[in-house]
Amino acid sequence: TQQTKIKIKRGPKSCRKLKETRVKSEYMRLRQLKRFRKAEEVKALFQSNRRRIEGRTELLNEEWSKLRIQSIPLSTTSGSLSSKKLCMVESGFPSFPNQAVAMRPLTTVAGIPFMYSWSPLQQNFMVEDETFLHNIPYMGDEVLEQDEAFLEELIDNYDGVHGDREGGFINDEIFKELVEALSQYSDPEEEEEEEPSERTENKEEEDEKGMQKTTPEGPEESKVGFFKRKRRSTAEGEYKDLLEPPSPVKLPPLCTPSMDGPFAKSVQREQSLHSFHTLFCRRCFKYDCFLHPFHASPNVYKRKNKEIRMETEPCGLDCFLLQKGAKEFADQNMQRSQRPRRRRRQPRPSSSCGPTPSGSGEEGKEGDSDHETTSSSEGNSRCPSPAKMRPGEEGVEESDSPPQWSGAEESLFRVLHGTYYNNFCSIARLIGTKTCREVYEFAVKEMLIHRVPLEDGGISPQKKKRKHRQDVNTPLPDNSSNQVYNYQPCDHPEHPCDSSCLCVMTQNFCEKFCQCDRECQNRFPGCRCKTQCNTKQCPCYLAVRECDPDLCMTCGAADHWDSKQVSCKNCSIQRGLKKHLLLAPSDVAGWGTFIKEPVQKNEFISEYCGELISQDEADRRGRIYDKYMSSFLFNLNNDFVVDATRKGNKIRFANHSVNPNCYAKVVMVNGDHRIGIFAKRAIQRGEELFFDYRYSQADALKYVGIEREINIV
Amino acid sequence: MAPQKHGSGGNGFYANSTSKAANGGAHVSSGVVMTSVKRPKMEQVQADHELFLQAFEKPTQIYRFLRTRNLIAPIFLHRSLTYMSHRNSRTNSKRKYFGVNDLLFKVEKSKVDQESHNMASNLQLTFTGFFHKTEKPLQNSENEENSVSVEMLLVKVCHKKRKDVSCPVKQVPTGKKQVPLNPDSSQTKLGAFPTLIVPSHEFEPSNSHMVKSYSLLFRVSRPGGRELNGMTTRDTSMNVMEELSNRKKRFCSNQDDGETTFVAQMTVFDKNRRLQLLDGEYEVSMQEMEESPVGKKRATWETILDGKWLPPFETFSQGPTLQFTLRWTNDTADRGTAPVAKPLATRNSESSTVDSSKPSNVKPPQADSDHNNDKLRVYYQFLYNNNTQQQTEARDDLHCPWCTLNCRKLYSLLKHLKLSHSRFIFNYVPHPKGARIDVSINECYDGSYVGNPQDIHCQPGFAFSRNGPVKRTPVTHFLVCRPKRSKPSLSEFLEPEDGEQEQQQTYISSHNRLYFHSDSCMPLRPQEMDEDSEDERDPAWLREKTVMQIDEFTDVNEGEKEVMKLWNLHVMKHGFIADTQMNQACMLFVEQHGTTIIEKNLCRNVLLHLVSMHDFGLVNTGNIDKAMAQLRDLKQQKDGQEQSKMQDNADSGSSGDGKASVSNFVKTQNH
Repeated sequence: TQQTKIKIKRGPKSCRKLKETRVKSEYMRLRQLKRFRKAEEVKALFQSNRRRIEGRTELLNEEWSKLRIQSIPLSTTSGSLSSKKLCMVESGFPSFPNQAVAMRPLTTVAGIPFMYSWSPLQQNFMVEDETFLHNIPYMGDEVLEQDEAFLEELIDNYDGVHGDREGGFINDEIFKELVEALSQYSDPEEEEEEEPSERTENKEEEDEKGMQKTTPEGPEESKVGFFKRKRRSTAEGEYKDLLEPPSPVKLPPLCTPSMDGPFAKSVQREQSLHSFHTLFCRRCFKYDCFLHPFHASPNVYKRKNKEIRMETEPCGLDCFLLQKGAKEFADQNMQRSQRPRRRRRQPRPSSSCGPTPSGSGEEGKEGDSDHETTSSSEGNSRCPSPAKMRPGEEGVEESDSPPQWSGAEESLFRVLHGTYYNNFCSIARLIGTKTCREVYEFAVKEMLIHRVPLEDGGISPQKKKRKHRQDVNTPLPDNSSNQVYNYQPCDHPEHPCDSSCLCVMTQNFCEKFCQCDRECQNRFPGCRCKTQCNTKQCPCYLAVRECDPDLCMTCGAADHWDSKQVSCKNCSIQRGLKKHLLLAPSDVAGWGTFIKEPVQKNEFISEYCGELISQDEADRRGRIYDKYMSSFLFNLNNDFVVDATRKGNKIRFANHSVNPNCYAKVVMVNGDHRIGIFAKRAIQRGEELFFDYRYSQADALKYVGIEREINIV
Repeated sequence: MAPQKHGSGGNGFYANSTSKAANGGAHVSSGVVMTSVKRPKMEQVQADHELFLQAFEKPTQIYRFLRTRNLIAPIFLHRSLTYMSHRNSRTNSKRKYFGVNDLLFKVEKSKVDQESHNMASNLQLTFTGFFHKTEKPLQNSENEENSVSVEMLLVKVCHKKRKDVSCPVKQVPTGKKQVPLNPDSSQTKLGAFPTLIVPSHEFEPSNSHMVKSYSLLFRVSRPGGRELNGMTTRDTSMNVMEELSNRKKRFCSNQDDGETTFVAQMTVFDKNRRLQLLDGEYEVSMQEMEESPVGKKRATWETILDGKWLPPFETFSQGPTLQFTLRWTNDTADRGTAPVAKPLATRNSESSTVDSSKPSNVKPPQADSDHNNDKLRVYYQFLYNNNTQQQTEARDDLHCPWCTLNCRKLYSLLKHLKLSHSRFIFNYVPHPKGARIDVSINECYDGSYVGNPQDIHCQPGFAFSRNGPVKRTPVTHFLVCRPKRSKPSLSEFLEPEDGEQEQQQTYISSHNRLYFHSDSCMPLRPQEMDEDSEDERDPAWLREKTVMQIDEFTDVNEGEKEVMKLWNLHVMKHGFIADTQMNQACMLFVEQHGTTIIEKNLCRNVLLHLVSMHDFGLVNTGNIDKAMAQLRDLKQQKDGQEQSKMQDNADSGSSGDGKASVSNFVKTQNH
């Protein structure tokens, strides 16, 4: 219906034509502008790179110029033998003598095998599945039929090919710019044909106040004519969406301002710690680690060491403990302060929530974009957020107490209160700007506030992240016992680890990362060895696990962090005690890995590192690798495959042999399966390393065809 | 032209000996066949010959070239090889009695020697006789007192002057003497031998040309027939000073008459003006003049096939050789005119003796005793063209046919052939009269380099220059390893059975290859050998990646981000793996990044981080206290510094906490 409406509204044909051409030319101009800008960007980037390189070379040259150069005495071949060829420079002028120098031929240098670039890595790196094919694999210059068929099949495996998705000739950015540009100079012409009412609307649009129901005809309509496929309503809607000021400072609802910054707000403990809690990987001790996509939030129920140290001695003359009733308050609230914390894990008080957490996108655009901006102080002052108001309110409320509590201090208090409880002296010391007496007074007040029933904020505990990671759905294990599944810490708060526990189901031990009780039946106890843990006497070794430095306290796995000499020989992978490897063209095929120092039998050589990819992804990648006839895939367990194609370490160049000098072993290392390469026999220095790719044929390296290896060998 | 001539003259000896070694002593059976079988077979023989050449010519030429190269610029000395130990005349027995004082004694003695040399300026040659045993019948018919005339000329090769095309050569005749032919050493008395003297002044620099080198040219004319012989015997004129051209003419005429002339040349002073001839007894191998064009220029291994007869190899047993005693005397009492060219040092003169003994083929005294395995026959059976065979026989000759190296023992010969000429396959077959060696082309020879690859890629990264001393890749050469050597036995050269394909044993173990950097594929220089590119747990790209990843979050504030980045880099750098390390890790974090934390104003965020770690049960409160206290101290220090600075600037009188926080405000905004 709208379509027809527009058609009616359309002006004379000639005029439309004119508009169309204008749109076209404007579009072209914008495209060109964009292309130009992009080229400029690339140029600038290139130049900056050049500068960096030049800087480096200068540095190097400086080093070189400092040193005196000594020429290498070339072996002087006796005159009669070497056919002395001379390199002559003849000048046309007779006064200049010809200059000649003996030619010095360089010896031929053998070429090196082909190598695709890769990034060095010393630990596995988990990557998401690629559902889009990033590039169409290069299969050589001449297009072969079977290759084409292969490519088609390959593309079918993916949701699409990178770059295809846009497809259209216009993207949002250009669209918006186009409308803006057209709206600017279409006005005078519009005036001739259109009603004044529309003209005013036109003006309105020009000011970009916002697009109401009816957009100015001129540009929009011709656009519709131009982009025949685009329905007017959608175009309109899109434009509307795009018109929202693209504020880069717009913070998502869950983000709290920096505690150290000027706009720190008074929020609850969970909010303050939310980022730290959700992003910290308890297994890698890093934030947003490369290996574990899901980080369990801290288990606040069970502390390893319950240390609620109460300072019984006053910290000074002005200590709150000297105040009347303070000590009693501290002691009596000990229990209480613990209890509400449990409840407080999820919910948050309404007072601090304000419009912040729930107001995701539905709220008024202006307000939303303005508030909580950390960089624009202007906007803040114009529209103070409720959270900002609070301290002010408080100030009014307790005008008798002179010390003002800033948002940061309040938040900090709540955070520390959850850890230090009523040890106000410590809290005060950590806050730094308040005395313990003030802290105490504030705490008393807080207790009152907390009596108020808490409103559930209804926020998802998971931190939202731009880069989405898809859930790794652990497939239900079948009963066959030789399957090895990836370990994931179990988290079933109320139940003990029984048959419904994830760890039990996947036939893994519970690790220290599990949320279950420390005395859980399914936990691996560690070893009590006093020897090297390299025989089956050691329970860890027997279970193909490396000694856990937090469990095995006697074998030495938990000692001597800085030295490479550890008495326990079963913790080499986690400590990265690899051997020095060297890269050289192989005696067999392509590149090879060579060892620098001799090793003994069963000694750890290196970890086979690479990208950790899902089995599905490995399936897809393997197809391409098969075509390329080189694969670095290594089956890790039922869920994951290590792919050293893009990222890896030097051991990736070790070749296959049926009579190898190394063997591979998948070891459970602190909850992660990792591939260790060990010496199968004593290896001398300079020997090339081989291992049998067919290691546990059932599941290892299904993409490295044995036949192919034989071909190469 | 002269130096070339000189050189080629030197080479001439070799070339001749080559032909002698390869062809002289070897009788080619096909050649024999050729003579005995009639014409129709000629073509067939020629075709066969072609095939033979096809198979063996190329490698033979290559080995010929290598032989020459090795003579000029030796890579190794054969005498130092274990299986050639008999070629090594030097013993270490003297070392036992070596004392430092001997050195002084030696030097003093050499000085005296040198002086004596200075005085002994005249070169005196006493000829013992001319030996030539080949034509027994002629000798038998002749008188035993037969003699030949020996003429000695001093050849001076001068430096080239600008106008000269080639180096001018001057020949100064020093005299002519009758020397007994094949004298019986037991009968002759010493005093009766003819003597020739080269006066010392001949070695002085001449006026017009700087003399480069001096050499002695011997010409022995031996009458071909009786009458001629008598004629030359009659011609006993001494010190005949004649024009060179004339002499040559006469030579030719003599030749026409049937007189045979033998020549030989010996260097007295080489072009470095080193004395090459010391006192001693010499035996010089002579060559027939008429053979010289073939012998010198076109002396190839195949010349034998032309059917020409060349002098047998056993020059010294059969001749023609000229024996004489050489002495530097000062009889003429011309003490003032000592030769200008004198031995530079004892070492030089010593080495020159070794050198001189080689080119002039001076028979070493111990050589005779070695030749006890008389008339050992070695049959070389060449296999080519699908089992066609050709046999070449060498009698009493253990020279390598390809490089004329006298191996002296059959075992050494076989070992040498096997190791040095791997383009062929040699199989030893015992033979009643000696040995048969089956020679075939090694089809598997691929020319690949089997030596130490480091020698090829030595010093990668330095094309023509380098910076001072450079480390070398540690390569283990087994030089002194005393390998278990089986007793030398000829059985090791028997044709190997199929099964026991000899394992290619590499004699260089360990890093016998050129390594490459894994990131850039550039050759790894030896000095870079010890640093492992994988030693760092946190490669640069990974550090950048973690920073980028954290920056990508939209709902994490900048304070949190900064702390997270710092902490991640900290953990990556130290590679913490255990919960028990965390307390320590936190303290280390504050220690190492304290200033950064304060500069970026992140103290409270660090506190949050620590509390979060505490929530995960990784640190205890005591540690939080400690870490924060340290930060506080640092901050106070810093604030104190800033304060004093501010006071210095006299900006404002009061600068309290509020002020400091304001300045922090500004800072964060700038960030």
